[in-house]
Amino acid sequence: MHLLLVEDEKSLADIIKRGLEEEGYAVDVAYDGEEGLFMAQNEPSDLIILDIMLPLIDGLAILKRIRKKGIRTPVLLLTARGTVADKVTGLDDGADDYLSKPFSFEELLARIRALLRRDADVKTAVIGVEDLTIDMASHQVHRGGREIQLSAREYALLEYMALNKNKALSRTALSEHLYDHDFDLDSNVIDVFINRIRNKVDRGFQKSLIHTLRGTGYMLKE
Amino acid sequence: MLSSIKARIVLFYLVILLVTLSAMGALLYFSLHRIVHASIDSSLLSRAKALATLIREDDRETEFQFSDDVMWEYSSPKSTNYFQIRRVDGATIEKSASLGDAELPLHPVAGPAAFQTILLKGRMVRTVDFPVPKEGEIKSPGHNIVIQCAENIDDRITLLNAFGIVLVVSVLFIMILSASGGFFIAKKAMKPIRDISGTIDRISETNLSERIDEAHIPDELKNIASSFNRAFGSLERAFGRQRQFVSDASHELKTPLAVIIAHGEIALRKDRDPRDYKIAIAAMMEAARMMSLIIEKLLKLARFSSDRFTLQMEDVRLDGIIDRSLKLLRPLAGEKGIAIAMPAGEKYTVRGDSEALLETFVNILDNAIKYNVPGGRIAISMRKDGGFIVTEIADTGIGIPETDLEKVFDRFYRVDKSRSRQSGGIGLGLSISGEIVRLHEGRIKIKSKDNEGTVVSVYLKES
Repeated sequence: MHLLLVEDEKSLADIIKRGLEEEGYAVDVAYDGEEGLFMAQNEPSDLIILDIMLPLIDGLAILKRIRKKGIRTPVLLLTARGTVADKVTGLDDGADDYLSKPFSFEELLARIRALLRRDADVKTAVIGVEDLTIDMASHQVHRGGREIQLSAREYALLEYMALNKNKALSRTALSEHLYDHDFDLDSNVIDVFINRIRNKVDRGFQKSLIHTLRGTGYMLKE
Repeated sequence: MLSSIKARIVLFYLVILLVTLSAMGALLYFSLHRIVHASIDSSLLSRAKALATLIREDDRETEFQFSDDVMWEYSSPKSTNYFQIRRVDGATIEKSASLGDAELPLHPVAGPAAFQTILLKGRMVRTVDFPVPKEGEIKSPGHNIVIQCAENIDDRITLLNAFGIVLVVSVLFIMILSASGGFFIAKKAMKPIRDISGTIDRISETNLSERIDEAHIPDELKNIASSFNRAFGSLERAFGRQRQFVSDASHELKTPLAVIIAHGEIALRKDRDPRDYKIAIAAMMEAARMMSLIIEKLLKLARFSSDRFTLQMEDVRLDGIIDRSLKLLRPLAGEKGIAIAMPAGEKYTVRGDSEALLETFVNILDNAIKYNVPGGRIAISMRKDGGFIVTEIADTGIGIPETDLEKVFDRFYRVDKSRSRQSGGIGLGLSISGEIVRLHEGRIKIKSKDNEGTVVSVYLKES
């Protein structure tokens, strides 16, 4: 999953980026409103975490402008002003959720998960594909009752595929969702990751879940 | 009841009306009373005089030559006219049949005749005692005789009483009408005041934007209304500033708090290298120091913003204050390679609080260093100007955009937020300096050119 974090307090932005990356998310950071607006409009992401008080363009203005442009990426507002009026304005302007500073990182993670699975056909933190289960809260993956150990990147890739199960996913789409914009999209690193996941998830089971679609990409199929 | 203006106006008005109407009623009543009595009295006196002309008297005897006509008037027991003739010593010589057993009492007479109203046989009767004069128009020998005439005046008293009652009832009626009319008028007159007070009641902390509609109130109340509106305007602005300040302060404090919590929580999520913990702790420390600085500055601002804070006023050498400020800031200036020029040997004394003034100049000089370019300059100069000592601090820094010049004293205002934060600015320094100089009845002027530098002039009263 690819997140965009717009936060002007560098120290806070950097530690949140680090914490999210440890959870397997790809995170881009914008440190002011202008940069944030540009990246929200031009870089594909699955979720935008948006601070309200920003230099140059404030968060609510960014929110209005991207919604006006028809960008429907879920937006989680972060702010230090926890007044009801602010929350109502933010939600009315098209935000999907709201978190007041200071916040618990665990809560931020839970809300990110909730927003990410909202568009997928998943209502709880556990996704099931045949006998494969993925617990998005604990990041534990089981198949046929056996636990499968995955690295953070492998997990992130599998989770994204599970959230989009039965859909064809191109290499470009997968890498965009897995890596921040510094990543070189031409590399075949996705194929390497797919192979590793295949070895762990499909090897030793009768039915293969991960399918290669020639000329297109990959699919996790039930 | 009397605490209301309406009741007071009505009561005052009723008292005046009552006094006026009562005076008029009394005048009417007593005038009529006099007219009625004067007419009775003149008729009684003419009768007495007529009787006197009929008296014949010689040495031995007093004789009356009353005609039948005269006697007829007094002879019936039911007649309402009476007479009685006495000697001066009181002995009755003759009296009318209409008197029956009763007698007209004899009154002492001073002057030609005496009139009295008495109760005779249960009736109101007017009497005259007329001593027959020894000489004059009445040629009568009966000079030792008193003629008393009387007339029943029950009907006329009844008439007077009825008139009196009509007067009292009329006055009461007019009073009641006037009272209700008065209340109505007073109520109407008070309506604009009630409207204004209603509006004032509606205006509260959460709804300070409403105003009294000055177009639809009487001229007399326009002043009050516009005074209230002005007061509400400044209240609204003050509340607005306060709300902005609280919101800004909470933002400024919650951000480092969020940094501390995020670093701590993420560091504790799993086992890490000691190096990672050190990085986390260092970041937490930095955020904590930032909070501590903000809190310290907020407390200072609170102290200097409240007018109750009294300065320790004394004669202060301003050049000494600048020296002390520079001593504190030289290390910071040295780091950025900034040269500070300060004229030596000049003595300037102001009235002020030395600690507060030190705070003021440290803040201004700190800005001049923080927002200066590396290797920049700061020039300090001092002069006298019409009872003020003016200290000018000119820097070669990034300057302040012209549109932002009026905001620099606003709390938490920074020209460039991200740059300020790196240099440790929190946007409270100039607010604090502004409050301190305000308490000293001085002023701060700021001139600035974008990317060329800023000149801050501090005016303080000369000692």
